[in-house]
Amino acid sequence: MTILEFARGPAFQAALWIFAFGVCWRLAGVFLMYRRFDRSQPRRHHLVAGGVRAMVMRSLPPHELEKRIVFQHVSGYAWHLTFFISLLFFAPHIPFFKQFLGFGWPTLPNTFALLSGAVALSILLALLWRRATRPVLRKISSLDDYLSIVLVILPLATGFMQYARLLPFGMRYETLLGVHVLTICALMIWFPFGKLMHLFLAFPARFQAGVLLQRKGVEA
Amino acid sequence: MSATIAPLDALRAALPALGKRVGRSTRTDDERLERARAVMLGELDASHATYLETCLHCGMCADACHFYIGTNEAKYTPIYKVEPLKKVYQREIGPMRWLRRLVVSDISLAELEEWQPLVYDACTECGRCDLMCPMGIQISPMIGIMRRALAAAELLPAELAGAADEQKTQGSVLGAGRNEILSLARELEAGGIHVPVDLATADVVLLTSAVDVKAYAGSLKATAKILNRLKLKWTLLSHSIELLGTGESLKELHVRRIVEEVVKHEAKTLLLPECGHAYPALRFDSAHMIGEPLPFAVLSIAEFVGREIMAGRLKVKHAPTMGPVTYHDPCKIGRHGGVFEEPRAAIKALGLDLKEMESHGRTNYCCGGGGGQFMIARGAHLRHRAFEIKMREVDDTGADTVLTACNSCRLNYQNGAAESNWQKSVQSVVELVAANLGD
Repeated sequence: MTILEFARGPAFQAALWIFAFGVCWRLAGVFLMYRRFDRSQPRRHHLVAGGVRAMVMRSLPPHELEKRIVFQHVSGYAWHLTFFISLLFFAPHIPFFKQFLGFGWPTLPNTFALLSGAVALSILLALLWRRATRPVLRKISSLDDYLSIVLVILPLATGFMQYARLLPFGMRYETLLGVHVLTICALMIWFPFGKLMHLFLAFPARFQAGVLLQRKGVEA
Repeated sequence: MSATIAPLDALRAALPALGKRVGRSTRTDDERLERARAVMLGELDASHATYLETCLHCGMCADACHFYIGTNEAKYTPIYKVEPLKKVYQREIGPMRWLRRLVVSDISLAELEEWQPLVYDACTECGRCDLMCPMGIQISPMIGIMRRALAAAELLPAELAGAADEQKTQGSVLGAGRNEILSLARELEAGGIHVPVDLATADVVLLTSAVDVKAYAGSLKATAKILNRLKLKWTLLSHSIELLGTGESLKELHVRRIVEEVVKHEAKTLLLPECGHAYPALRFDSAHMIGEPLPFAVLSIAEFVGREIMAGRLKVKHAPTMGPVTYHDPCKIGRHGGVFEEPRAAIKALGLDLKEMESHGRTNYCCGGGGGQFMIARGAHLRHRAFEIKMREVDDTGADTVLTACNSCRLNYQNGAAESNWQKSVQSVVELVAANLGD
């Protein structure tokens, strides 16, 4: 079995199961926990609407808050956007999705998708540097923070190496492709255990904050 | 500065003595640690779990905190202040606890001791960080849990421990108890202001606060004047004072007692004085504590006055010319309570030229001394740093006068102004309304 066959076969299958089971386990563990029921008279009604509004509006903080976090704020959204563009709309990825899901979708020109990936990679490297050097970030960072960012960087980096035919250690193209898929497997395996879970938890967290603040009569 | 700080000095002079009230603990370190852990585990629920699981460690909350902004010290990052709580969650009840236990160390009493200045001296639970977090994480309620856990481990700062002990054993706060309230009421009566005390029934029940009794008697006088003008059937409670909220069970005990009192009086409204710290507890948390919605409304006096003005029931004259004013939103009734519109309606009715600070309403900066911080002597330098931010924002408005609706904020402003030789007048919205009642 070649590295590519291993990566696409048992490694990917195992990663997928760990990802799916781990995500469900963690979500169930959080959401099935006892939840305090707020019986106070709300200042504003339409609590659910307040929660939904917060899911959107948390991305747009008021100026007096925003002005101190411009780089973090913009870079955060920018890398997510460009990462997903390169993941979902880069032509070589679509056959994989088609094989896995049974359907595909239109792609973007390779240059655009690659440029998106390059932006994502650059921002992630800058954020990693920032985390390692800024006192506040160093103070609050754990292994999870560094590992998660490295595990997102690796598929991007190996993807670029592959596209540019940068084959280290005399590696064959197929082997590098296998390594690329293995980095994705590593990302999927780590996903349920670390902070990457915010993909599933960010909107529930924003929603519950929105409901709470709506009850108090405060814009979330 | 218009107001004398002599009464404030008298209040602050009582604080060092408080620290000497509480004797050495009779519990072992293990018992104290387990009491803290029990509080954390008892209070953590699915909402906190969602927040703790979602945190990205982005550090943006630091840029909302006046203590971090004022000092640039990383340890004052708000989410860092709940680190022991996060550890307990991750090791004991989080869904990945079996894995986390391998990499997350357990909490220790020494660690909780280390966190004491972070959650008491360097946090006023103002909630500004709650607005900044891109995930919507509400950090300040979790700092509240940390504080109650530390209180359970007998790790309250000395001044707060003394105050809690006084409240528990004597029923008074900072030397203000039933006798002092009755004495103040008698003084006001002698001065021609009717203050009905402890009537059997009333439509409106009024609480007063230690800060009012000891430093701002004019606030109670103004409230009485307004309630009398509205011809309401009201009464001041002499044996319940606005709670201090320190101690793990003290807050709940006081809330329960106050709720029972108001129900016994068959009152429709509980009015809280110009002091915000009890507002979130009585307005929002009390229903959970007693297990059912409250059968009466809870309003802060500034909120009540603003509503009466907006409804046209309370007439106000334009205040004598006093130049532009700005309004400081007290965190507890503003960001934690949603009272923004009513005090501003009162200011408008007074015909004043309101110049808003850059950070106003929900993003207002705390005065720096809320949440009991003003009582902690060793936290003075942090209070000062936080107040410098406040001074800059006020100065930028060009206003000569700061109006507010919380006498704890007023106390901090006046102390901060005295320390910095800052020439601004700090006044109460309610007192200004009472001084300018129309026909």
